[in-house]
Amino acid sequence: MLEIKNVSKTYGQGTAKVVALSNVSFRVDEGDFIAIMGPSGSGKSTLLNVIGGLDYLSSGEVVLDGKRIDNLDENNLVDIRRNKIAYVFQQYHLLPSLTALENVMLPLIFCGLGKGEEKGLEILKGVGLGGRTEHKPSQLSGGEQQRVAIARALVNSPSLILADEPTGNMDQETGKEILGLFQQLNVDGRSIIMVTHDPDIAQHAKEIIVLQDGQIIDRINQKGGKQ
Amino acid sequence: MPVKEDLMKLYQIVLKDITRRKKRMLYASLGVVIGVATIIAVLTIALAGETDIYGQLEKYGANLVVMPAISDIDVGLGGLSLGTLAVGENYISENELPQIRQIADGMIREALNIEDEGDIATIAPRLYMNTEIKGTSVIIVGVDPQQERQLKTWWRIRDGEYLERADQALVGAMAADLLELNVGDKIALNGREVTITGILEETGSNEDYQVFLHIKTVQEAFDKEGLVSSIDVRALCSACPTSDIAGSINGNIPGVRAVAVKQIAETEMGMMGKVSKFLLALAGITLAVGCFGVVNTMLTSVHERIRDIGIMRAVGASRNQIIRIFLYEAIIIGVVGGLLGYVVGTLLAYVVGPLIFGGVAVTYVPQYFLPSLALAAFIAVVSTVYPAFRASKIKVADSFRSL
Repeated sequence: MLEIKNVSKTYGQGTAKVVALSNVSFRVDEGDFIAIMGPSGSGKSTLLNVIGGLDYLSSGEVVLDGKRIDNLDENNLVDIRRNKIAYVFQQYHLLPSLTALENVMLPLIFCGLGKGEEKGLEILKGVGLGGRTEHKPSQLSGGEQQRVAIARALVNSPSLILADEPTGNMDQETGKEILGLFQQLNVDGRSIIMVTHDPDIAQHAKEIIVLQDGQIIDRINQKGGKQ
Repeated sequence: MPVKEDLMKLYQIVLKDITRRKKRMLYASLGVVIGVATIIAVLTIALAGETDIYGQLEKYGANLVVMPAISDIDVGLGGLSLGTLAVGENYISENELPQIRQIADGMIREALNIEDEGDIATIAPRLYMNTEIKGTSVIIVGVDPQQERQLKTWWRIRDGEYLERADQALVGAMAADLLELNVGDKIALNGREVTITGILEETGSNEDYQVFLHIKTVQEAFDKEGLVSSIDVRALCSACPTSDIAGSINGNIPGVRAVAVKQIAETEMGMMGKVSKFLLALAGITLAVGCFGVVNTMLTSVHERIRDIGIMRAVGASRNQIIRIFLYEAIIIGVVGGLLGYVVGTLLAYVVGPLIFGGVAVTYVPQYFLPSLALAAFIAVVSTVYPAFRASKIKVADSFRSL
């Protein structure tokens, strides 16, 4: 469903030029669960941003369902964010003035699907937050906030979820719970690409891609591995 | 796409966000408040002044005043003015009264198509003299009692009766109080004696300080037989051609100068119009400065919310939706600013209005309320277009990187 072909990304010019990604290629098929690992500054987050159209690449192609998305204009990227790809961030990125339920309904509002309350409630229940729908993010723990963010990512039924260190701000116990949630989503048929530097988390993915200095240095296939 | 629902929900997001940042929003609306308040204050005061002049026109609009034609000559050395010197007669002969009546009645008849041969206009001659009563300097006014009564429709008698005979006097309210005069008291005037027959209620004008006598009594007492100081002419109606009558009197009777009250009011009105326009221009500048304030605050607000905007973009907000969120916010700021501006402007008018137009009664103008909301909303929206555009340009990846 997703093909990354020879993607490179550089920042700056001349002597200040920084290579963030260099000639990265891989495929994501339906039902995949890929963990991207690597030390800080290896280009993990940049890769995720480029895949999701949050950032422009310097060369190469990103093809989603047979169509190039790396050269789309803003309006078409909006369509992709609304229908196909959703994000989960390390800092949760919830709107502080809205309740958990309202945060989850936000994508529906932007899509123009106003009546999403029931759907929002159902999804919040699905991530284990049925009792905290009216709480503001500041009243929720880190794990709970991430569950809200995951619910928000799910509300538009995307086929691909991009997660940037979703367990990075959590203790191990909570991290495991959130990972369990991602695994469940994967079982339900969604493809997941997750950036992490925690090997314990990564080993639960079906495939691990290791980045260093913007290049793929290792790929570990563990399909049918630990669950 | 159910646009209405979408709009309502976007609106809720804006409202929630604004209630979270009340202080900043209030600060943003400050520019609008000051601009709108200035405009409302100017308009309210101008309207009060205009209403005051119209009120006076209604009261005196049918009047014209005939005075002796006195020329003032400037007396000075070089460019320094040392005052003016009055040149000419200080009195008008009583003999002119019939001709003034003829001109006034004739023109009113013509204007209103009246056949009636009787007197139409009220023509009230007056003779002003300065004298002392009980050791205090007082203006005494000789009047034709019947004509004067028809002219001064607002006169009410506080004590006693109205002036009728040559040996009677009518005293203004303040004069009576200050000089401790009562009905039945006798006043000596150059060897003559008159009895106070009545005291007027307060009118709020300089009449309160005057003493009114029969004109014949004043003429004889002060050796001014056949002379009057001024003649008030009241036409039948305020639509009567008082300016034409004044013109005709000026053209036909030498030595007098007739002025219609309407002309004075029109001049005053014209002056006020000019002052109002000038003040409005200043208020406009204030509003423009206020605009810059709103632009500034909104740009700051965009900057503060880079992360929030990034989040919204990441979960599917289009550029247009980001712009709309900011414009909705501008409308709310505008409405709040307009509301406060109306209140502040009206209060300002209440305080400043009487200082400008000596004690004029300022009243709030409900008709200005909705226009001030609309103006404020318009200003706020216009000032937010550029900041909203900037907000819509924010890239998701940049917004998170800046953290």
